[in-house]
Amino acid sequence: MTVPPETTAFIKRLASFALPGGGVPYYRGGGPSAEPTLLALLALSAPGSPAGGEAAKSLLAWVSGLQNGDGSLGLNPSHRDQGLWLTALAAVVFERCGLAGPRDRALTFLSSVCSVTVANTPGVRQDNGIVGWPWVSGTFGWVEPTAWSVIALSVCGRGGEARAAEGVRFLLDRQIPSGGWNYGNPGINDRELLPFWDTTGLALVALGGRTEAGRVRASLDFLETNQEKIASLCGLAWTVMGLETWGREAARLRQRLLGVMNAPPDDGLNAAYFAAGMLALSGRKVFAP
Amino acid sequence: MKRRDFLKGTAVLANAAAFGGFGRGRQLTPTPAAASAPCPVTLLAMSGYGQDMEKEIAAVMSRDGLVLKGKKVLLKPNFVETHAERPINTNPSVIASVAHACLRLGAAEVAVGEASGHRRDPWFSVLNPKLRDVLDRKIRCLDMNHGDAVQTPNKGGLTGLPQFYLARPVAEADVLISLPKMKTHHWAGVTLCLKNLFGTLPGIYYGWPKNVLHFRGIERSILDLARTVKVHYNVIDGVVGMEGDGPIMGKARPVGVLILSPFSLAADATAARIMGFDPRKILYLIQAGRFLPGLRPGEVSLRGENPKRFATVFDCLDDFKGMRGGPFFS
Repeated sequence: MTVPPETTAFIKRLASFALPGGGVPYYRGGGPSAEPTLLALLALSAPGSPAGGEAAKSLLAWVSGLQNGDGSLGLNPSHRDQGLWLTALAAVVFERCGLAGPRDRALTFLSSVCSVTVANTPGVRQDNGIVGWPWVSGTFGWVEPTAWSVIALSVCGRGGEARAAEGVRFLLDRQIPSGGWNYGNPGINDRELLPFWDTTGLALVALGGRTEAGRVRASLDFLETNQEKIASLCGLAWTVMGLETWGREAARLRQRLLGVMNAPPDDGLNAAYFAAGMLALSGRKVFAP
Repeated sequence: MKRRDFLKGTAVLANAAAFGGFGRGRQLTPTPAAASAPCPVTLLAMSGYGQDMEKEIAAVMSRDGLVLKGKKVLLKPNFVETHAERPINTNPSVIASVAHACLRLGAAEVAVGEASGHRRDPWFSVLNPKLRDVLDRKIRCLDMNHGDAVQTPNKGGLTGLPQFYLARPVAEADVLISLPKMKTHHWAGVTLCLKNLFGTLPGIYYGWPKNVLHFRGIERSILDLARTVKVHYNVIDGVVGMEGDGPIMGKARPVGVLILSPFSLAADATAARIMGFDPRKILYLIQAGRFLPGLRPGEVSLRGENPKRFATVFDCLDDFKGMRGGPFFS
């Protein structure tokens, strides 16, 4: 896989989002937030990029300061009690940066968080008894926080734990039969709900190496078949990562992703998605064990 | 299996069926809201989305006493998901007409912001090129799911949530204009101006969907937000509404109307009647009528087009057929 020549410019652009007081906002003009900072940190930590590495170091210090005593990560310095779902991504970052203590605290917290379960209802295509991870404590489980938690446990060498296995089961259960994932309801009665590009890509990344290809073939086919319709930075980035996790061809999508990343002005550019785009183009498997 | 049963079973929602019990939070103050004067609600005919309504909307806003000169205005449309054949979202041409009307009335800044409830990717919401292309370059589009929030005390207290995290553009706007789509809703019955306020809460705080609001009770959450978020004006996109299994899986229902009012509940009640529902049979509207004016026909002063022109009966799920009423406007 060839690293695009634009990489240096992308690193510079992403690093320019970093705020003087630490952290990265989602959009220019905003305050620092954990998610764009964590993804930027991973994207800037590419080997052989001293400038990116320096920026990443300062971001790591800021993120470490956001970790609460119970191991969870705060959304931002003003609202440290919000955003528990970010703890999974933080664990990945701490692992990749070799911070064993913060990583282990994050994993301990992650293992303590269980989504609420309820009784199944006949006719509904999902098993409400499977435990996943919620966005907010005390609520139901959803695809994205569960996918991130499965990724975190796998990357940190704890993929063999029962919670990780149940997370995989959760994700497979929430897969839309004809392919793809949305936020976490595959269908109601006999009607399938609509799949999303980004959530599908993320779920495929989380399931990489954790299930048989046949179990996710419909979702891979769904992304491949519809790839010309995908236009957003976020959708393209996660589709590339999802397909390539399973060894599917994504060369044309990479070209389009490159085009989208070169195109937008800073107004309306989401730093978290830009970082995800950089990770997709880099081919680095930072979310794989 | 009934839809309502499914929703309870998936824990997408809390036990709103036991709404009268108020398991969490405090009771509503049983003081009926009384408008000192009837709430103006104006109906404008809009035959299709190709029609530019800027001048007409500006004239109605001005007559309704909305002062925008020098103000920072935020438009809050409704974006949930995108589907080529389903009118799920507020149409860009309606958003553009309202935004340009605000500029015409002298607003210093106009922004369009949304914290979409299902889709994280803002390309499917306010950062979609189709919206950007029809807006004046001075108008900013804000993805309110991903950004700063302002902790604001919950003035309702029905959900038991001590505060809401309002997207900063909502908290900082001088004038907030709600721009919902006229739709049925598989849990609440209808989704209009009041329900549209869910999109003032960022997903990074509440998730996708905003499940904590469902757990606390959709209707309770609607009412708490109605007490907490000050809305200055409302424009309902009823040009093509959604009937049946709304707000996502339903079918298009052309009505050809825009409903404008400074009063959210008056706009919602009027829209419900146009859809063939009796607002006094819709639980959260009844409850909102205790602290907002505009629920009863006598509290509304209808202006503009004759409502008979638009009155129809929206198809709905069996659970909500008991909410039907009318004929209205006879």
